Amino acid sequence: MSTAIDVRQLGFRYPDGTAALADISFGIEAGECVGLLGPNGSGKSTLLRHLNGILPERLPARDGSIRIEGKLVSDENVATVRRRTGLLFQDPDDQLFCGTVQEDVAFGPRQLGLEPAECERRTREALEQVGLTHLAQRPPHHLSAGEKRRACLAGVLACTPGILALDEPTSGLDPRGRRELMALLRGIPATKLIATHDLEFVVELCPRSLLLDGGRVIADGATENLLNDEALMLAHGLERPHILQHRHPHVGDLVFDAATHK
Amino acid sequence: MHIPDGFLDAKTALVTTGLAVTGLGFALRQVRRELPPRRVPLLGLSAAFLFVAQMVNFPVAGGTSGHLLGGALVAALLGPAAAIVVVATVLIVQCFLFADGGLLALGANVFNMGLVATLSGYAIYRLAFRLLPGTRGRVAAIAFAGWCSTVLAAISCAGQLAWSGTVAWHVALPAMAGVHMLIGLGEGAISALVLVAIARTRPDLLEPAPADQPPPDRLRGFVLLGLLASVGVAVFVAPFACPWPDGLDAVAAHLGFAGQAAAPILPAPAPDYQMPGLGSPLFATAAVGVGGMLVVFALAILFSRLLVREPPTPKSPGP
Amino acid sequence: MTKPAKNPAARWPAAVKVAGAIGLVLAITLTPAPRPAWFGVEAAVLCLVLIAGRVSPVVVLRRLAWLSPFVAGAALAAAWSPHGTDWRILALRSGLCLATVIILARTTTFGDLLGVLRQARVPALLITTLALMHRYLFVLRDESGRMGRARSARTFTRGRRFAWLAAASVVGQLFVRASARAERIYDAMCARGWTS
Repeated sequence: MSTAIDVRQLGFRYPDGTAALADISFGIEAGECVGLLGPNGSGKSTLLRHLNGILPERLPARDGSIRIEGKLVSDENVATVRRRTGLLFQDPDDQLFCGTVQEDVAFGPRQLGLEPAECERRTREALEQVGLTHLAQRPPHHLSAGEKRRACLAGVLACTPGILALDEPTSGLDPRGRRELMALLRGIPATKLIATHDLEFVVELCPRSLLLDGGRVIADGATENLLNDEALMLAHGLERPHILQHRHPHVGDLVFDAATHK
Repeated sequence: MHIPDGFLDAKTALVTTGLAVTGLGFALRQVRRELPPRRVPLLGLSAAFLFVAQMVNFPVAGGTSGHLLGGALVAALLGPAAAIVVVATVLIVQCFLFADGGLLALGANVFNMGLVATLSGYAIYRLAFRLLPGTRGRVAAIAFAGWCSTVLAAISCAGQLAWSGTVAWHVALPAMAGVHMLIGLGEGAISALVLVAIARTRPDLLEPAPADQPPPDRLRGFVLLGLLASVGVAVFVAPFACPWPDGLDAVAAHLGFAGQAAAPILPAPAPDYQMPGLGSPLFATAAVGVGGMLVVFALAILFSRLLVREPPTPKSPGP
Repeated sequence: MTKPAKNPAARWPAAVKVAGAIGLVLAITLTPAPRPAWFGVEAAVLCLVLIAGRVSPVVVLRRLAWLSPFVAGAALAAAWSPHGTDWRILALRSGLCLATVIILARTTTFGDLLGVLRQARVPALLITTLALMHRYLFVLRDESGRMGRARSARTFTRGRRFAWLAAASVVGQLFVRASARAERIYDAMCARGWTS
C-alpha cells in the first residue's frame, strides 16, 4: 500500500512566536481511516490545514516536510495537493459560501477547469452520494446542520480527492445526523483523517488514532488501546468513552457488524 | 435617509445615477488594485455586517430608537474605496430585496450614503486623527467624522430633493440638515462606541495609524473620488446658494401660506440658520455651519475622554 | 425576510422582469401631475402582472402597508413645501413604485438578479460581494440575535446607557466575527482550488 500522507518533523509557529506544532511525524497508508484526538488547542485544526496547503501559504514559519501521495507540499505543488486532499471545515457555514447547494458543490469542479458537462455530472453524483439531490436548489441557510455538513462533504467529494481531512465533523449534529454521516463516511474509500472530540465516533470509524497535545504527537496506535488507557486519556484532556466502558452484548454486535459490513 | 421612488424627477435620477455609477466603478477598480486577494470575502462580509448592524436598536426616547448608518465607520475600518463598494452593496440589496429606497433613486442613495458619507467621513476621520493622537484621538475622530458625514449626506439629499422640485430648498435644507445634525450626534456616538468595542478585542482590525504616507496612487484615487463627490454636491446645492438671500422673506411668506404644518420642529438658537446680527445670509449660513462643527468637535473630544479612561501608555517591547 | 414564492411569474426571464420594473418605475416617475389618469393605467399594468403571474395580492398589499409609513412620512414632510409637488401625487407615485419593486422581489430570486447583473457586465468583484453579502446576511443576523439575547440575559441594570453600551458591543463583536469568518471563507475557497 502506498503512503498517502507522510509527515516528518513538522513544526509550525504563529507570527507572535507561539508554537502550534512541534516535531510531528507520522505516516498514513492509502485507504486508512485515522482519528486525530486531543484537547482544545492541541493543534488538530492547524495540522489539518497543513495537509491542504492552506497554512504555509499564509505564514511561512514551518519546519519539516509533508508529502501528500509522494508529492512534497510546497508553494509549487499547492494546486496539486489541494486537488488530492479534501478539507472539511469545522463550521459548515464557512464552507458553503455559494447561493445554492448545487452552485456550491459545483464550485470545486469549476475551479479544476473541467468542462461544464463534466462539472454537472460530478455535482449530480456527489449530491446523490450524500443524499441531497432533492435539496440542490436550496440556499444553504435553509438547511439543517446535518444537511449542511453533507452538502460540504458533497462539495469536497465532487473534486474526487484521494484524501479526506475532516475537522470536527459531528459537532452540532443530532444523533440522526451523526449516524447518517457515519454511514456516509464508511462508504467512501478515500484515506480519512478525522479530527474530533467525538470519541465514540472515532471508536466506530477509525481503527487507528493519533493523540495530539500541545502541538506534539503523544501517542499513535490502535484506537481501542489508546482510548482504553484511562491514565493517558485523562492526562491529555480526554476520557475513556462510554462505549468502551459499558460493553452491552447487542451494542458490541452492532459496532462490529457495521464495521465489517464493508 | 433612503429616498423612495417618486421623490426625484427624471433629470435628478439620471445625474445621480451617472455620478454613482462613475464613483462606484472607480472605487471597484481601486479596490481590485489595492486589496490583497485574501480580503476579498471581507467586502461581502462587511456588507452583511453593515446591513445587520443597521438593524440594531439604540433606544432614544419613548419607543423610538436610533440606528447606525455606518458610512464613516466602515470607511475608517476598511478604507474609502472598499467602504464605497460595501455601502453600495448594502443599498443595492436593500433596494431590490426590501424595497428600502427607490429603484430610480438608487443612484441618489448610493451617491449620498455611498460616496458623500463615506468619503467625507474618511477624510475627516483621518484629518482629526492627525490632530488627536492615540486611541482617544481615534475615538474622537470617528465621533466627529460620523456627525459630519451624516450632515453632509443630508445636505446632498436636500439638494437633490430641491433640484427635483419636490421640496423647496429653503424647507429641505433646514429640515434635512437640522434633523440630521441631531441624528448625526447619535451616529457619532454609536460609531465611537463600536470602535471602542472593536479596539478592546481586535485593535489590529482598526486601520493602521497614518504614520506612513499612503502610496501616491492611493492618494490620487481618493482625491479623484472626493472631487467627484464634491462636484456632485455642488451641482445640487449651487443653484440654491444664490437665490437663498430671499431666505427670510421667502420663509415668512411660506409660514403665512402653509400655516399649520410650518412650525419648525427644532427651536434653533440661531433662527433659520442665520446667526443673529450677521449680514449676508450666505456668510451667516457658513458661520453657523462652522460654529456647529466646532461645537461637535469639542463634544467628540469630551466623549472620547468618557470612553477611553487613560491615554494608552507606551509599552516596553517584549516580555 | 422576502422569499420569492413559487408562482408562474418566477419562471419568466429575469432580465425581462428587471427591465420591466425599471421601465414602469420610470413611467410612473415621468407621469405628469396634471394627468392622474395615467396612474390608473400604470396601476392596471401592475394588476395584470399580478394576475398573469399568479402573484398573491395579499402578500403584496401587506408588504406595501408595512413600508408605506416611510413613504407617507416623507410625503408629509414634503407637504410643508407649497412650492413643491402636491403630497398626494407624491404618495401615489411612491406607492405605485413601491408596489412594482415588491412584485419584482416576489417573483425574482436573488440569484436571478445576480444573473441579470452579470449579463449587464457588472464587474465581477461587485457581484461576488453582493453574493457573499446575501449568503451571510442571515448568518450574521442570527449571530447578532444570539449575542443580543446573551447580553440581555446578563444585564440587570436598566437604562439607556447600558442599552447603548450593550448594543455597541454587539455591533463591534459582529464586525470582529465577520472579519474572522471572512478569513475562514477565503481558506475554504482556496481549499477547493480558488485562485484569484
